[in-house]
Amino acid sequence: MSLRLMTLALFVWTLAAVSSAQAGDVDAGRRKAEPCAACHGADGNATIVGMPSLAGQPAWFTHWALIKFRDGRRKDPVMSPFAARLSDVDMADLSAYYAAQPPRRRPQAVDAAKAAAGKELASLHHCTSCHRPDLSGQNQVPRLAGQDLEYLLKLLRAYKAQTAGDLEGLMTQAAQPLSAADIENLAHFMATSPASPAP
Amino acid sequence: MLRIALISVVVALTNVFALGLVQAQQPPPAWQQGRPPELSNSPLAPVAAPPTPTPAAQIPVNKVKLPPGFKITVWADGILNARQMAWGDKGTLFVGSRVAGNVYAVVDRAGRREVKVVAKGLVMPNGVVFKDGALYVADIPRLLKYENIEANLDNPPAPKELYTFPKEAHHNWRFLAWGPDSKLYFNMGAPCNICMPPDTHANISRMNADGTGFEYVAHGVRNSVGADFHPVTKELYFTSHGRDWAGDDFPNDTLHHAPRKGLHFGWPYCHQGDTVDPDFGKGRSCSEFAPPLLKLGPHIAPVGTRFYTGSLFPPEYKNRLFIAQKGSWNRSQKLGYRVMTVDLKPGQPPKYEVFAEGFHEGGTVLGRPTYIEWMKDGSMLLSDDFHGAIYHITYQR
Repeated sequence: MSLRLMTLALFVWTLAAVSSAQAGDVDAGRRKAEPCAACHGADGNATIVGMPSLAGQPAWFTHWALIKFRDGRRKDPVMSPFAARLSDVDMADLSAYYAAQPPRRRPQAVDAAKAAAGKELASLHHCTSCHRPDLSGQNQVPRLAGQDLEYLLKLLRAYKAQTAGDLEGLMTQAAQPLSAADIENLAHFMATSPASPAP
Repeated sequence: MLRIALISVVVALTNVFALGLVQAQQPPPAWQQGRPPELSNSPLAPVAAPPTPTPAAQIPVNKVKLPPGFKITVWADGILNARQMAWGDKGTLFVGSRVAGNVYAVVDRAGRREVKVVAKGLVMPNGVVFKDGALYVADIPRLLKYENIEANLDNPPAPKELYTFPKEAHHNWRFLAWGPDSKLYFNMGAPCNICMPPDTHANISRMNADGTGFEYVAHGVRNSVGADFHPVTKELYFTSHGRDWAGDDFPNDTLHHAPRKGLHFGWPYCHQGDTVDPDFGKGRSCSEFAPPLLKLGPHIAPVGTRFYTGSLFPPEYKNRLFIAQKGSWNRSQKLGYRVMTVDLKPGQPPKYEVFAEGFHEGGTVLGRPTYIEWMKDGSMLLSDDFHGAIYHITYQR
């Protein structure tokens, strides 16, 4: 085991900048989100254990999730019939509404030692390239910071088991080298990360 | 009401990462092996995949630069994540997609293009070809055949499943191409960035049109998503994507020539024909493998790869290879985002020239040229999976 001293590295980097996409209407989304409140919270901050928070999720992430529920690539007894009734405009509005809601970290018991180990793993496994260093997500990549611990565990285990469909196959690929302990540590790190709004 | 917003950003941020002390505790996972430690906090990530197509009026097609006499317009919009294209016998253009999971039919109604979804919920149905009234679709798990589809665009028949592919998803969105032998050619990409692939992967393969007779054609191919057969020699040419996380300028994506089956093109041992991989190339030499015909540039992401056999474009374009390049993500300055041509005159080195460029401005993506299909009159259709549109490139002297 050896410690290596890394030098300061200077990066000039470019965000994956994009132009031109249709965005939804936040106010219309607020009305359309009323049926969602029981599970996901009125402002997208869920309180039920195991239920994902949607507040502060990048709009494109929520929109893609709804598309996948609608076309059957992702299945859930509640979400599938709900999404089946949504138009493209509904999905854009809902996604815009949740993206505009300030996220809060879920109040949950997390293990500090696991979270510390998870932080190292997040860098080693490159999670922070797509999900950003603060785990706030970007574009179609979800926010993980402060998300529900049980939900994170369930999803990471499903990616490892190759039973969760992801948009491009990247998460299934990324999860393959993870051990059961790695998954626990990563989920604890993500769940403890502060849910500061995206810049 | 739906509001249209221009989300535009840019972006050259200068950032100083203090990496500090990092403990070397375990080898990195295979998919990112070779990534230098100082890149562990790199913000480079695959380019965004918008969930909605861009309306034609908002696509900055006027930024595209072409040689004199050529003109580009938006031919059809509203085709989320448009990828490979194929003409039906009755003039329907079928269009595959990747993350959208859809296959589309575009029907020309007196100059107005109507877009129908003929299949949805598939797993990256990138590859589409047509023959004898049937549409063939390759998604990741299966090869599907939709018979007599042009008569049933509003109520497509259930497909026949002709073949089951290995389940690995990454780099296994497939092109489809009919060979001169009437077989179907397709890729089975490496299920990783860099790794020792299973025997079933990192190749180009073929099978009969009924799904029988599978055989490997080319080995050591990391990720090819475009191929065509030379109009004169009928030999296979294909492009391939090089590995990531080995630097801004290394390795090059490549153009290959496979005059016979069974050649090995080097991956994962040798990159771009001249450099052994730091992890997997130990004890190996690039001279063991068939070299690329041409280095295309690092990370430029070659997709549509098609020879020009029409007669609308000036005579010098006859039999030239067109390569649509989606553009880089794993590179600090964007590269690609263009269509190139390769002149492959016998006995001469390949001549590599820009055809269409201007699909990015600095760090801002303006479009992503993806697949090429030819119109009957010899003009070009070019899909863009970012805007969900198809462009039409014509020539008038």
